Parts: sequence; C-alpha cells; structure tokens
Amino acid sequence: MIYRVYINFKKGILDPESEAIMKTISRMGFSSIKKVSKGKFFDVEISKTKKGLKDLEKISSDLLSNPVIENFKIIKK
Amino acid sequence: MSKRVVSIIVFPGSNCDRDLEIAVRNHMNVKTEYIWHNETNLKNKEMIFIPGGFSFGDYLRSGALATKSPAIKEVIRLSKKGVPIIGICNGFQILTECNLLEGSLIDNYNQLFICKECFLRVENSESMFSSNLNKSVVKFPIAHAQGNFYTSKDDLKRLEDNNQVIFRYSSEKGRVSKISNPNGSLNNIAGIINKEKNVLGLMPHPERAVDSLNDRDGIKFFNGLKNFI
Repeated sequence: MIYRVYINFKKGILDPESEAIMKTISRMGFSSIKKVSKGKFFDVEISKTKKGLKDLEKISSDLLSNPVIENFKIIKK
Repeated sequence: MSKRVVSIIVFPGSNCDRDLEIAVRNHMNVKTEYIWHNETNLKNKEMIFIPGGFSFGDYLRSGALATKSPAIKEVIRLSKKGVPIIGICNGFQILTECNLLEGSLIDNYNQLFICKECFLRVENSESMFSSNLNKSVVKFPIAHAQGNFYTSKDDLKRLEDNNQVIFRYSSEKGRVSKISNPNGSLNNIAGIINKEKNVLGLMPHPERAVDSLNDRDGIKFFNGLKNFI
C-alpha cells in the first residue's frame, strides 16, 4: 500500500522561496494567480496492517515534518 | 592540561569539528575526543559539543536526520542529567530538531547563504556559557542558509521571560535593530539556552574567532567554559 504524505508550512511561517516564485508569476503577467505556497510530499510504501499506518503517522510527525513549522497530511494513493 | 575530556560529536557532513577541537583544546586547556555519530555509549560526561556543518547533507531539514543517530540519543539522555551541551550552527539546528531547545531555524529571510562577521550582544551573563562575556558585545562570524530563528508567540514570550536568550544580533555598540539582523531571526535571536540552563545553541561560530587572523572574542567564550567542567 502506498500513501502520500504532504508537508507544508504552517500559516505565518516566512517562506521566501514561495514569495520569489509568486513575484515571478506576477512578472509573467498572470494577474489571476493570487498566491502560491511551496510544499513537499513523500510516497511511502507500508505493510497492509494497522501497525503500518500507525508507524506512518509516527514518522510523519517525528521525522518527515517538524511540528514547530510544518503541517502534514496523509492521503492514500 | 586538565584530565577532563570534552566530547565533540561528528556526523557524516560535519565540517567544523576540527576547528572546534583546536579551539577547545587550546582555550579550555582540556583533552578532547571525537565521537562518531554511531556511538551508543558516551563515557566522558564533562561537556559535549555538536559542531557545525551539513550533517547527512542537511537532507529533509537541517539537522533532522542527525537527531536519530545513537550519539544524539546519548546526548538527550545526558542532557537530562545536567551535562553541559553546546551546539554551534548545524549543532544548534540539531538541538532544536531533537527538542532539547525550543524553536526552529528556517530559511534566511533573503534566501541567501550568509557568511559574514556579526556583532552579538550578550543578553544574559549569568548563564555558565556566557559568564565570562559579562554583558558585552562580541564579534563572531556566521555562515548559514537556515539560521532564521522562529518559534510560536507563546514560546518566544517564555524564552524572553525566562532569560533564555543569550546572544542577539546587534550593532557594534550593542543596538538591536532590524538593520543588525542578518537573517530575519525573531527578536534578533542568535543563541538560546534551555530552561534548565545546561544546553546552549548558537548560530555564530566562536571557534572561528580564536586566532590572530580573525577576531579573538571566541577565546573569551572558550575560556569561560573552563570553570564548568
């Protein structure tokens, strides 16, 4: 089973990379694009057990994301 | 030379370990040992340094992968027993990632790797790490891309209320302002300690300010640590 763990910054965290991308989008003339936020995802293959999902949640909060600055969301692929 | 031994943890990708070892040996007058990150038992418990660099390539987030090394498990265990622990640059990032220190070091506000000398106002000279610096202004270099100190509003207030901020980016005269903030850190924070006061993390490099080619304020920093081991 493959799950996808999405990670993005919490609200209010300074994200200069996204700001730079947004500035470029504006410069390209796309006035309808209002905001862009960078994130990342991991595709993780786990065993088909309850433990697999529990472990995935654990690594998502303890390693893949940093709860001080990031949120994560797990979605089945 | 004292018989005491100061430990320096080394990860794949550490690159300030040798400079640090020389600074500690010369200016603390102690023996030193390198501890490879796979070590599961730290025998010397006098003082532990976590050096700068790019542990595990800084993959995932700066310092994140290093926190799962056996030697860091030992550092966490010994920190609870009051052993003094000092993380410099990547070492600071590792200490926040393993929750020995609050907050997080995020991308510099200007997206740049910043390498320059900085003035730091010593905020709290009652801490063992700064008692020798006596509320002065010191000059240490910084060299990082992720040194922008961030934490929640509540945690920031707690850090300030408990006098846990040790170093703040300032002007030569000790004025703290946006102009003297190189990386966007909240409240110009450059170095903090934990609530128990035995763990210090700082982004600037005192080990790069100890010889005649550079500024020598780092010597004061290392000299001051002698009394606490």
